[in-house]
Amino acid sequence: MFLRLLAESFLRQKRRRLLAGLAILLGATAITTMLALGTSIGDKINRELNSNYGANIIVYPKADTLDIDIAGVNIKPATSGSYLREQDLPKLKEIFWRNNITAISPELPLTVTANNRQLTATGLWFHHTIQSGTDTFTTGAPAVHPWWKLTGTWPNDNATNEAAAGAKLPFHTGDSITIDNVPIHITGTVTTGDDTDTQLLIPLALAQQLNNTPSAVRRVYLSALTKPEDAFARRNPNSLSPKDHDRWYCSPYANSIAFQVDEAIPAAHAEQIRRVAQSEGQILSRISGLMWLVTIASLIAASFAVSSAMATALLERRREIGLMRSLGASQTTIASLVFLETSILALATGTIGWALGSLLAARIAIQIFGSQIPFNAVLLPVVLALSLLVAIAGSIPSVRFALRLDPAATLREDA
Amino acid sequence: MSLSLLTLLHRSLLHRQSRARNAWIALTVSAAISTALLTLYNGLDAKLHHEFRTFGANVLVTLSSKEKPVILSEAKDPLHSNAASQKLSEKERLVIPTERSDEGSLRAQQNSESMGLLLSTIREAAGPNTQAVPFAYAVGSTASHQPIVIAGTDIPAARQLNSWWQVSAWPQNENEILVGTRALPQLAATNNETTLTYGNHTQTFQIAGTIHTGGAEDSRVYLPLAAFTAFTGAPASIIEIQIPGSAKQVNGALDRIRQQLPPNAEAHPIRQLVEGETRIVDRTRALMFGSLILISLMVAVSVLATLSASVLERRRDFAVLKALGSSQAKLQSLFLLEALSLSLAGVVSGFILGSIAAIAIGKINFGAPIFPTPAILPPVAALNLFVATVAALLPLRVLRKLQPAALLKGD
Repeated sequence: MFLRLLAESFLRQKRRRLLAGLAILLGATAITTMLALGTSIGDKINRELNSNYGANIIVYPKADTLDIDIAGVNIKPATSGSYLREQDLPKLKEIFWRNNITAISPELPLTVTANNRQLTATGLWFHHTIQSGTDTFTTGAPAVHPWWKLTGTWPNDNATNEAAAGAKLPFHTGDSITIDNVPIHITGTVTTGDDTDTQLLIPLALAQQLNNTPSAVRRVYLSALTKPEDAFARRNPNSLSPKDHDRWYCSPYANSIAFQVDEAIPAAHAEQIRRVAQSEGQILSRISGLMWLVTIASLIAASFAVSSAMATALLERRREIGLMRSLGASQTTIASLVFLETSILALATGTIGWALGSLLAARIAIQIFGSQIPFNAVLLPVVLALSLLVAIAGSIPSVRFALRLDPAATLREDA
Repeated sequence: MSLSLLTLLHRSLLHRQSRARNAWIALTVSAAISTALLTLYNGLDAKLHHEFRTFGANVLVTLSSKEKPVILSEAKDPLHSNAASQKLSEKERLVIPTERSDEGSLRAQQNSESMGLLLSTIREAAGPNTQAVPFAYAVGSTASHQPIVIAGTDIPAARQLNSWWQVSAWPQNENEILVGTRALPQLAATNNETTLTYGNHTQTFQIAGTIHTGGAEDSRVYLPLAAFTAFTGAPASIIEIQIPGSAKQVNGALDRIRQQLPPNAEAHPIRQLVEGETRIVDRTRALMFGSLILISLMVAVSVLATLSASVLERRRDFAVLKALGSSQAKLQSLFLLEALSLSLAGVVSGFILGSIAAIAIGKINFGAPIFPTPAILPPVAALNLFVATVAALLPLRVLRKLQPAALLKGD
């Protein structure tokens, strides 16, 4: 009898079920979309910051002398100080957070004479491929400096007769010049908006050859996806308990990535570039914080909208409830019938809402960030639980009200 | 039938309290969420650009040190002064002094006065909230004859501009210096005192604390600008400027600054910062806009469904009124009036609630409230009134086709 009532209720009162169903569907769709965006927005913005601001970690030789660097012009003699070894660099892609390192750019600056003019040349990777285990990773200076604009092509990393010229130098694509008596072909010009505009960019191998320092690298810039720094990140890893140390080590803080680089290359010292790392962290936590608060506000609004729809849908069932009571149904039976109905409805429409919301979130992410967000199956139970909770909570006042009324009065429609 | 429209409305709202309350809650929620999201969307630009100030200077002015900065008070319009014609001549590259110039402290005094004028001119040209901090550099040597970059700056201003500077203790007086963490071991400091040499001039300084940034600063020592000029005789060579705003605003301010600059100065944006900021602010705005549209519409449609269902359920009222001789027009105005008064009440309470939510979110996330502007009231009210109107009129079109007698007999 109970089951028949349940089935009949869905079959015969389609229009009324439609209202409650539509409300839950819309609520679940909106909430799924917001949650899907909210959970992935941190990663999206992090990547966006990472690809806009470039390096946030610098690696230099532990035993290095001071940089004599003013406004991007390094006047330290190229021969002084110590170097990193180029063949150590693939170790950067073997550390625990290797997949968070999105770009690597080694540099070897030196002073050269190009066409009788003294200027700075920097040895760089352009599209260099690193082999670590079975993985290959192609990276270089353009990936770490996304704001560099190139006309022409980058030099070939293996070529010893190619270079790119800063836009403020009197060299043009196609020119042939001599650098320290080596004939060089200009493959492209670069504008950077900073002092690199007055430099020659040459393949690292050529710089090492001109400098007579095989496999030497002055410093390495890393772009890494990091987690905003908190109080825990600033702790000294050596003073942590083993458990905390593991947690610190396995969190992608700029500090812990730098720590792992130090471990991988003992002669090197890595540290976060605070201007980039700190500012990125702050922007990231502000934007994801905003998104979370907006999601919570939307959740509350959607809950109220669904609750009031449920209340309205039930308000109109007073006559039905009155009839059932006058036919001898107990209050418990009626309440269970209503709540069971509501639950079935909430689960069914919640699932559809979840599917629609996931699609919508994916569309929005592609529209705004130009890339997919990961499909998040964990959201299904969350959204279903929320739908159930909100739908039942919205029904309770109306059911209590209907049960309190005198059945005879409701049947006469005086109430 | 002597019942007026207003009496009917009054009775309808009073005697069907739970129905009216449900409708009012629904409309309040709809107005509140659109108020909150619109307010956040409007305030987002300013708040985010404020956050991006943590990146520090986004414009650099380099002064070639062959000439001292021109005092601008006499040449407010440099485009038409003689100096302007020289401006087009090839820009001199930044010259880094390594020798102390012979001119004495008089020159230093003049420099600091004209620098002060230049800074206030830049701040005036760039607009409010602009920070401009002078920096001076020279290469000196440590007690152990290691070369080291000596920098001079307005330390309190630099502290404000460069929030990422990690400093153990800030200098309190003119003779105290900051030492980079990589430079510290090279200085052979005893009792927090170290000697620096510039040209043939050697001076002892008090170390106030260390500076750590992970950048070039770590290899330098920082002196207060006045102490730097007294020590080296060199003027500031770079002004770091922080202009808040989008790429367009920054470039506009940059143009205004360029018009005011003396001929030996060159201003250029730090492209990395200006472009990155614009892109990220734009994407966040787009995201907020998407959420705004999505949530407002979803809630509005949900409210619309609720309201029209509640009107549809009033077929009996409709039938009684019709049977008593009410015209369709009168019925429409009754239902409409009821919906609109509920909707207005909803807009008022929703606007208040939504404003509170936006202020709270601004306070929690950005540390400063985001206040609603009156400009967002029209769209919020329009959406709400539209929903209420459609919710009232749509069911009436359905009911119109039905016979009052059939309706009164029951379902």
